[in-house]
Amino acid sequence: MLKITAEELKVIAQYIHEICGISLDQSKSYLFETRLGSIAEELGCKSYRELYDKARRDPAKKIERQIIDAISTNETLFFRDTSPFDLLKHKIIPEIIDARTPNTPQLKTNVKIWSSASSTGQELYSIAMTLHELLGTQIKNFNFKLLGTDISDTAVKQASYGKYNKFEIERGLPRQTLQKHFTLFGDTWKVKDELRGMVNFRKFNLMLPFTGLGKFDIIFCRNVAIYFTLQDRKKLFNKIADSLADDGYLIIGSTESLTGICSRFVPKRHLRAIFYQKK
Amino acid sequence: MNNLTILVVDDDPVIKRLLGQRLVKEDYTVLLAEDGYKAEKILKENHVDVVLTDLMMPGEISGIEVIDIAKDLDRNIEVILITAHSSVDTAVEAMKKGAADYLEKPINFTELFLRLEKIDTMRSVLRSAEDLRQAMDVTETNAAETIQNLEIAAGDLQQKLDAIESILIDDETDSHSRVTEALNILLN
Repeated sequence: MLKITAEELKVIAQYIHEICGISLDQSKSYLFETRLGSIAEELGCKSYRELYDKARRDPAKKIERQIIDAISTNETLFFRDTSPFDLLKHKIIPEIIDARTPNTPQLKTNVKIWSSASSTGQELYSIAMTLHELLGTQIKNFNFKLLGTDISDTAVKQASYGKYNKFEIERGLPRQTLQKHFTLFGDTWKVKDELRGMVNFRKFNLMLPFTGLGKFDIIFCRNVAIYFTLQDRKKLFNKIADSLADDGYLIIGSTESLTGICSRFVPKRHLRAIFYQKK
Repeated sequence: MNNLTILVVDDDPVIKRLLGQRLVKEDYTVLLAEDGYKAEKILKENHVDVVLTDLMMPGEISGIEVIDIAKDLDRNIEVILITAHSSVDTAVEAMKKGAADYLEKPINFTELFLRLEKIDTMRSVLRSAEDLRQAMDVTETNAAETIQNLEIAAGDLQQKLDAIESILIDDETDSHSRVTEALNILLN
């Protein structure tokens, strides 16, 4: 494995922060080596400096995308930590439906949900499955817009295909839910169209201004801010507050906290989970 | 020491016995069935890690159907098919259905043992990953509980501070009652 020098560490860490906001601990040089070593070797680079120069000069930004894919953690699973989905089912969705149902019966209820670091899609599909479970056939009377975004092109692509191997599937999905919403092709499980049709995935960098996204009723931002610096976290949650409806709901990772990060949110507890609303 | 339990399914009693003996010699736990029907019964009553089945068998259940039966009962069961050379295409088809591998007749035992070792290694890797994940889940659950309590406590304090601030800056009220009111909030 190609070794990284202290000077290269600084340059590469700065570069990674710039392209995707991820702040890597520079004392963990092995992290850089294990994640970027193979890319460097594949491109025939003799040093990380050379990889950096190549990435900078690459007009198609293909190397940049490869680096983002290698650096961003795509550890996720269906119904990762069940409490946010119970919260969604028993409190948030019924409340938001109440609040959004128009007085004119002909009009559909609009609800916009955003999975802001959607990785390979498990979180957003889990949200969609929760909606199906809660509303059953009544779901057709609602207009749910489910958006998933991620910094990694590869993750976005896999999420859009909605294809999962048996290891990805077996973690977290009860067999009944699996058979209801997925079809088996060989060793691959594919999300059925009724679920696939509810969601949209696209690439998005949370470090950039949130233009063109509109306002959301529910935002999931779980386990992504942990990779950012304190300053970037503050900016991120400030932008999230701007993108959330006044009576909207924010859900962050179960071991994350907004104390000292964003004073525009108030934490609220329901059963064993916490959600945030704007002051 | 081999940890796998293997179910051998073959209608030819000679091959079945030979396979069984060789596997027992290698320390595997072996179960035997002469057709798909028996195989299904054994799978329902026993824990099996690997099914080693002949593709072509007389009777109503073929080797391909044994894959479906096994995978329906437990997705983690691995199936290795034994085929005649002429049925390699069917074997490839079977692998698409979830079979782990296939072996051509006559069986090369070195090859068979290698495949089984591979499955065994894979299983122990998966098992340790699962152990690690469970340990991580326990840590995460505990951390989450602590953080949530702190978060709610910090939120309550912030609310008190906000209330006290609005009382103290309210110059419509005289300072003595402002302080009394602020203290009331603090002490509640």
